[in-house]
Amino acid sequence: MENKKMIIVGIIASIIFVIVGCALLSTSAETLDKIAEELGASEVSIWNPPLPDYEIPGFEGNLIANIGIGVLFTLIIFLIAFGLGKALKRRF
Amino acid sequence: MHIPDGFLDLRICLITYIITIIFWFFAFKRAKETLTDKQIPLMAVLTAMFFAAQMMNYPIVGGTTAHLLGGPILAITLGPYGGLISMTIILLIQALFFGDGGLTTFGANVWNMGIIGTFLPYIVWILFPKGRKGMIAGAFLGAFIGDVLAAASAGLELGLSTKFLYGISISVPAMVLHHSIIGIGEGIVTSIIIIILLKSRPDLLNLPKIAPKWLSK
Repeated sequence: MENKKMIIVGIIASIIFVIVGCALLSTSAETLDKIAEELGASEVSIWNPPLPDYEIPGFEGNLIANIGIGVLFTLIIFLIAFGLGKALKRRF
Repeated sequence: MHIPDGFLDLRICLITYIITIIFWFFAFKRAKETLTDKQIPLMAVLTAMFFAAQMMNYPIVGGTTAHLLGGPILAITLGPYGGLISMTIILLIQALFFGDGGLTTFGANVWNMGIIGTFLPYIVWILFPKGRKGMIAGAFLGAFIGDVLAAASAGLELGLSTKFLYGISISVPAMVLHHSIIGIGEGIVTSIIIIILLKSRPDLLNLPKIAPKWLSK
């Protein structure tokens, strides 16, 4: 029961993080990228991610789509971590 | 702090992959020995939470932004190997689906954020006395040191990479300077989470840790 409460609180907090992240704090200008640019390196793409920069191609800048992606992957990651934990415990 | 493809040369990518694979081997081995039903829900919730938290980019100096890493709190609650497994899941999904961090540099990113970013906060944390004040101070200092040294490691990799025009004398201080501010942010948030846990679920701080034997009580 205590764990159920923790999971619900954690997922609600995560959804709030995603909403705040997408609505208010979405502009990313990472220090590493800026320093790299100053020091003369450039990114080489070897893999085309399906959702570049956390956005659905064709729906860039769409707040609802971005929040949807963030929430969906938060839940997917929860399930992956839970499943991996269970699998490791079973000593496969 | 996610290094994209193209920033590191083959040599650095290989070395960091090899070190990371060794840590993965021991992490999964210890997880199989020590993971119980008590830790699994916490591990799943925290992994999801820090994936979400990494989507919040707050502005710092010089027009750049920062986000939480999460390694410190993952390591303190789950143990450093538990933190490494959680960070690996987050970093893998970010690289595969969102292009946040590269695939050739995946080993380096896990080494920086998943190994340095979990082991150092954990070591600092266990060195502090386990009273309320000690725990809060240990969480803050551990998170700060973890973030700064993870950044120093990223700076070292970038400086040693032949893809860069400048050496480590420029890349390391540049990364460390910026990430000192990020480290303070991570330290504050980590301490706040410890305060919340001490108040609401202190049992979660006393779960068995997925840690190397030399770091286990």
